[in-house]
Amino acid sequence: MQHRVFSPRRLAAIATNTLTELTRLKIFHVLLLFALFLIGSSLFVARLSFQQEFQVLKDIALGAMSLFTSLLAILATARLLPQDRADRTVYTILARPVPRFEYIIGKLAGVLLLLAISMLVMSALFFVVLFLREQATSAAAARGMAGLSAEQITVALANNHAEIFSANLLPGLVVIYLKACLLAALTLLISTFATTNIFTVVTTVIVYFIGHLQATAREFWLQEQGASWLGRAFLASVALLFPDLQLFDFSDEIITGLAIPLALFGKVIALGFFYIVLYLLLAIAVFNTREL
Amino acid sequence: MAELLVEKTAPAIKIDRVTKTFPVPFTRQAIVAVRDLSLQVEPGQIYGLLGPNGSGKSTTLKIILGLVAPTRGKSEIFGHDSRTVGSREAVGFLPESPYFYNYLTGAETLAFFGKLSRLRGPTLRTKIDETLALVGLSEARHRRLSGYSKGMLQRIGLAQALIHDPKLVILDEPTASVDPAGTRDIHRILLNLKRRGVTVLLSSHLLSQVQEICDRVGILAQGALVREGAVEELLALEDRTEVVLRDASPELLREIGALAQKSGAEVVEERKSRTTLERLFLDATENLASEKRRTSTAERPTSNGEPPRRDPS
Repeated sequence: MQHRVFSPRRLAAIATNTLTELTRLKIFHVLLLFALFLIGSSLFVARLSFQQEFQVLKDIALGAMSLFTSLLAILATARLLPQDRADRTVYTILARPVPRFEYIIGKLAGVLLLLAISMLVMSALFFVVLFLREQATSAAAARGMAGLSAEQITVALANNHAEIFSANLLPGLVVIYLKACLLAALTLLISTFATTNIFTVVTTVIVYFIGHLQATAREFWLQEQGASWLGRAFLASVALLFPDLQLFDFSDEIITGLAIPLALFGKVIALGFFYIVLYLLLAIAVFNTREL
Repeated sequence: MAELLVEKTAPAIKIDRVTKTFPVPFTRQAIVAVRDLSLQVEPGQIYGLLGPNGSGKSTTLKIILGLVAPTRGKSEIFGHDSRTVGSREAVGFLPESPYFYNYLTGAETLAFFGKLSRLRGPTLRTKIDETLALVGLSEARHRRLSGYSKGMLQRIGLAQALIHDPKLVILDEPTASVDPAGTRDIHRILLNLKRRGVTVLLSSHLLSQVQEICDRVGILAQGALVREGAVEELLALEDRTEVVLRDASPELLREIGALAQKSGAEVVEERKSRTTLERLFLDATENLASEKRRTSTAERPTSNGEPPRRDPS
């Protein structure tokens, strides 16, 4: 048999095996239950504040999805490489004609598949909850509009429907998924040189907070310290290494019903891909030099 | 990029003056794991790499497999540099005390490793069946590895190393934590591989087992190869000869002693021939097992409920 430098079949085998491994983890089920609980409880909270029912519902659901997928991305990815090293499974895989880059890409692909499935399940549940609440509120609203004509009621309900299932929901969900993918790639990079799972998780969580705070810190720094070249170089290097995770959050636009500009959406997508590819390439470079 | 993987004229393994050092973090010191090691394994041989714990056996195997880069020197598999991924196309490897993915069943494990060697479809399914039968795990094919015993894990480890019909099999302590019957089965499989022309390199510190199956051995101590050669040559004591007699009377033994003395030779030792403890264990356990099988067959009622007929013989 001749050797192939790259084999999609080998990569698919590693990715699907990683997905199988992660779906059979108890932590995954616990986190899924956690997300289901949060989305379910949003239904309860929404009932308490009638005026802004759907805003609160979307806020809680999107927040829960973002938190759950981020946690899942970090916790699931952090264990993959150390576990394979501890079980010596990495030896049996890499003692075959499997290039190290295929192993790393396969592992990440498995996590991204898991995150995609999780996002699909949560989004479906979210839309079901929205639909059920819409049915309930529409019936109540129709009763409240008893004096209006049938046509006026239909128009009012259609407006309601358009507001609830606004077009900006989809890009909002895509961006949540992209953020989770980015965190998975970052976690994988850290786990290539980390010696323990805890180190990987803690470091990624620190980067997660830096990513969320860096835009605010940058503005504050520039206001306080001015714009010396040294300060700018420092900020530029921080901005390059750590993604601005605040960008990966469209919940304000979704809750207030504002349209998400296509340019902004495109910029966030491009930024997400840039960081995923950057972290993946760095992970491959580090893993290639590692002695197993 | 395509490359020819098994060059028939090249040695299966060639290690040339390999040294491997591991730096000690935060110091200027380094640990020498392998020291100026050269050895060659010819195709079709069973080669045993012996040595105490920490002698550099596992590091040597990792260097051969390209998992660790040598500090100096070079390693080749069938003429290809071990650092190239393509050199491992025809290699099967079983690491020491493997665990594998315990959420997979035996068959799923072999399917995964088969796919990594680009097997698929009916070929893969056939290979899974054959390899499970070879290592005696056909009955446990649908059980998850989390329910496997240590011996079974070792067998499934051997199976994954053989699923793609490798030309070279590298085994790190293959019989560690395996009972004598399991060890004998593994030896039988390895000897069968040898008959098919497969090269086997195994590391072990169980010397009697290595002696049984290896053609050549290399002894490592503190990272250096201290002895190397064919087993028969290494073990032979050139100035001594053994004669094994059955039913020899004391008179005959006295006469032999006198004859030896007369010709200037010396009877160094005279003792009863012994079996090995392993042979004794296997005979005892196998006899018991076959006795149980015979009893249960004899006691099993026939389909019409009558007691079984005894064989008149």
